Amino acid sequence: MERVFRSQKLRYVHQHRWAYLLIAPAAVFLLAVVGYPIVETFRLSLYQSQASAATETFVGLAHYEAILTDQAFYDLLYRTGKWVLAGVLGKTLLGLLIAVALNADVRGQKFFRTAFLIPWGIPYAISAVVFRWIEHPQYGALNAALLQLGVIEQGVGILGNPDTALLGVVVADIWIGTPFMAIIILAGLQSIPVELYEAASIDGADRYQQFRYITLPQLKGVLFIATLLSTIWTFVSFDVIWTMTRGGPLNATTTLVIQIYQVGLENGAMGRGAAYSVIGFFVLLMFALVYIRVYAGDDL
Amino acid sequence: MTTIQDSLRTVRVYGILIALLGVVLLPFYVMFSSTLKSEAELFRTPATLTPDAVSIGAYQAVWGSTDVVLWILNSVIISVGTVLLALVLAIPAAYSCARNDFVGKRTFLLSVLVVQMFAPVVLIVGLFDVITELGLFNSYLAVIIPAAAFTLPFNIWMLYGYFQTIPVALEDAARIDGATQRQVLTKIVLPISKPALVASVTYTFLYAWNRLLFVLTFLTDSAKYNIPRGVFSMVGALQTDWRMMLTVSVLGILPILLLFAVLEEHIASGMTAGAVKQ
Repeated sequence: MERVFRSQKLRYVHQHRWAYLLIAPAAVFLLAVVGYPIVETFRLSLYQSQASAATETFVGLAHYEAILTDQAFYDLLYRTGKWVLAGVLGKTLLGLLIAVALNADVRGQKFFRTAFLIPWGIPYAISAVVFRWIEHPQYGALNAALLQLGVIEQGVGILGNPDTALLGVVVADIWIGTPFMAIIILAGLQSIPVELYEAASIDGADRYQQFRYITLPQLKGVLFIATLLSTIWTFVSFDVIWTMTRGGPLNATTTLVIQIYQVGLENGAMGRGAAYSVIGFFVLLMFALVYIRVYAGDDL
Repeated sequence: MTTIQDSLRTVRVYGILIALLGVVLLPFYVMFSSTLKSEAELFRTPATLTPDAVSIGAYQAVWGSTDVVLWILNSVIISVGTVLLALVLAIPAAYSCARNDFVGKRTFLLSVLVVQMFAPVVLIVGLFDVITELGLFNSYLAVIIPAAAFTLPFNIWMLYGYFQTIPVALEDAARIDGATQRQVLTKIVLPISKPALVASVTYTFLYAWNRLLFVLTFLTDSAKYNIPRGVFSMVGALQTDWRMMLTVSVLGILPILLLFAVLEEHIASGMTAGAVKQ
């Protein structure tokens, strides 16, 4: 006998109970581990809260006011922008170069594809210490090379100098992030119909023209998604910066996420750190909305 | 004539590929060759390109003077734990979405996608509160739980996409033969989905193996450090034992190189599937 339900809604849920039961664990888990911390971050940002003391005082929007009226915040945003722009630009251009080279139809392509991925697959902290070693002022390979070439006359401390530290860390971040770009772009290249190139070469287009008028336009969609994801990942890149410089010297490598960690966890000013998090949160939300429109817009 | 042109082209292509790969792998070369130098040579200015005399002294010393074995073991525990938790949650959810239409499915899948955007570092202050309130601080679970949460989106979407491609008729046939729903999942669906599962496991394993953030924040007990945290702990404020640190680094990436060698093209195809639908 059919069970009797008080409402249409309950009947619907009962009929689809398996569907709901199967997604329930994942949904509850995500609500607890991601959803709740989001709410908690927003709440904390309205309080004066020290990790060392158990007390919390409601301060309203005071943290935001303090942050937004401080010139240091705009320097921080500018630095974060520079970090993201340099990183994404480097990763995209190098990724494109590697992808085009990999797209050639030669034996061993799969071997090369995997080998190029290795920097992406190893712990960021390890890449970071290796780059620290390469950039070491006395014993580093980079200084040795520059000395040999006569570019410099004595060792320079790239990471110790506020003017060059950001560049020194960006290089490592580009090294880590390029493989992803290359592989995504390669997938895009491989989905371009061969007929387009055949038609173009019959019409007498040279290689450069083919790249300019076929490859690039056809790659537009993939390049858009890849640079968007890379922008997000570069923006939230933490491990590399923290291991190489911890945001120093003199804040020269402090991006917004480094600031969050320094203020909220290192200094234990959780309320203030949470306010920085909320700001970072809205930056990410902006990117996420674009991504979702493109990724899942018409598919669900 | 074409054959000469063709082989010239092949040589050029290999030349470019090898040159590019050389540049990309250069940091590995510096790391590895540094560990084979004697202590005196390692600290010579300017640095030498190749070791004057190959010495395995660093590898003999590293076992005694660092906790590298413990760190690798902890890395294995954390990575395996994360993979298990993520898959136990992702498989039923992905299967449910692939096979049913129900109110809230769209919302669920889109919310999951939003999670993928929300990098943990932005939530770290709130997450810290949650982990402490749950009394998980300094336990493996303090790292496994967030790592599983932040890999769930990739896993759910990856498996959801793959499960959709499996014909329902195949499952119906098994049901007619008397298979239970659980048998359909474990005997039919999962074995067919091996490529997607390999991608999921690899992605999740590497995520947990590689990330420093959660271990740095939630584990202060040095007996539970994993490889990234161990390497990080060797970076001294004033002095760093570079020789030991680079040697630990080499040992820490060996398991990953093995994984790459075994799985080869699955890794690249899995990565691509996660970001770009084809």
